[in-house]
Amino acid sequence: MAKELLKGNAAAGEAAVRAGADFFAGYPITPSTEILEYLSSRMGELGRTFIQAESEIAAVNMVLGASAAGARCITASSGTGISLKMEGYSYAESMKLPFVVVNVQRHGVGLGGLDSGQSDYFRETKGGGQGDYRRVVYAPSSIQEQVDMIYKSFDVAEKYRIGVTIFSEAVLGQMMEAVDMPPFKKREGELDWGIDGTGKKGIRNNKWTIFERVEMYHEIEEQYQEWENINVEDAEYVFVAAGLPARVCIDTVKKLREKGEKVGLIRLKTLWPYPVKAFKELGPNLKGLISVETNVQGQMVEDVALTCRKFKINAPIYCYAYGPGVPMVKEIVAKYEEVKSGKCEERF
Amino acid sequence: MKEIVFAGFGGQGVLTGGLILAYMAAQKDLNATWVPSYGAEMRGGAAKCVVKFGESKDEMIGSPSMEEADIIFLMNKPSMTYLKDCKPNATVFVNSHAIEDTSAIPSTMKVIKINCVEKAMEVKNPKGANLIMCAAAIKECKLFDLDYAMDTMCKFFEDKGKGKFNEANRRAFQAGYDAV
Repeated sequence: MAKELLKGNAAAGEAAVRAGADFFAGYPITPSTEILEYLSSRMGELGRTFIQAESEIAAVNMVLGASAAGARCITASSGTGISLKMEGYSYAESMKLPFVVVNVQRHGVGLGGLDSGQSDYFRETKGGGQGDYRRVVYAPSSIQEQVDMIYKSFDVAEKYRIGVTIFSEAVLGQMMEAVDMPPFKKREGELDWGIDGTGKKGIRNNKWTIFERVEMYHEIEEQYQEWENINVEDAEYVFVAAGLPARVCIDTVKKLREKGEKVGLIRLKTLWPYPVKAFKELGPNLKGLISVETNVQGQMVEDVALTCRKFKINAPIYCYAYGPGVPMVKEIVAKYEEVKSGKCEERF
Repeated sequence: MKEIVFAGFGGQGVLTGGLILAYMAAQKDLNATWVPSYGAEMRGGAAKCVVKFGESKDEMIGSPSMEEADIIFLMNKPSMTYLKDCKPNATVFVNSHAIEDTSAIPSTMKVIKINCVEKAMEVKNPKGANLIMCAAAIKECKLFDLDYAMDTMCKFFEDKGKGKFNEANRRAFQAGYDAV
């Protein structure tokens, strides 16, 4: 069958449906609205539940309720809408209620703008709400990758009873791409905690401590890192990027390699757990790492630096904080030339 | 890989024109991307889309944004600013109803002027100017066979519940194909 040409947000909705999501609650906000719009008809068609809530806070709490009852739950939002859901993120963790969130990021502070970006990196990867806890964060570079990540995200969420965030970007949500959709699936096995009306199962019976969760976080860190390394073994300079900037970096590496430049790419597919293992494959010729991100301060570059400290990698670390939008290959090439000629200040 | 940019203002079918080309590629199981950019207005604001597709099934698309276009459609004068991000040997399809003076287009580029607005009126499909331009590019740049392109365009509109316009759209498409 031919690939379907789908909008990123519509594909996200369909992927959730194929993965067996039976409950969606959300509130519209650009640039994530099409997920809600798509599911508003699709969930009904399949006899599943869709609710357009009165607010983001209401939506996330409906999701918690459905999750407590053992439903496969998903919600989606952007920018300030995700901020409003943060209390729910933290409460979900305190009750070990799994659910999936798609954050179609808009760039900026406060209301922000409609531009694409990765300015929510800190919030999404460090927990977000109050308390010390973690969520698994997948960062797709293409619509196909987003589909595949959403498809497996519910299984990961339910296995560990943890929240999962899909770190999307406005352009990824709004663009269209040819996609192969996976088949419909259902949860394998039974949950031992979804309230079923018998009084024997449910979250009130949970006996657990945050210390057990810490052990579990370590297990996830060990087992769930995902990345793709391109030409890193002999590279002198290596780009580190996720999402759409990473996709542009694939072309950048190709172009620079054609010119004989020894460059490589660590393309991160998970942002928590941060794929530190990817850095073990860096070669002895390394002269610098360049974090490419679409925010204005450089956020992920801090995790690059921490990872380098862990493995005692002493190469300087640079950051190309591009700002809103998606960088062009020639802009990343120009930044590389700046780094190589010593005109770019190192961050760490 | 082919990189195609369709630029103009809202209402000229710029986004749809690009989408049809991306759809033709996807229906052949090629990797394809379509990235829109437009203002908040439904009509009159600047509108542009970037289409990329592989020329073989295993060719992946890296950057989905405008980098170095092989083909560009200029539907209005302000679109000419995008010429700076085209390949030196790009093929430029100009809507000569809106752009009379093409002297600003670099001489290394191949310029094809089509009065798509007039032609659309001639075939009694005034909204079909974008299809005329698409068809001209399909022939000139050898993107797809005419029969495949025409049938796929019709399928595209049928899927949107607009199959009743197929006959008029076919006329526009043929007129564009014959214009080059």
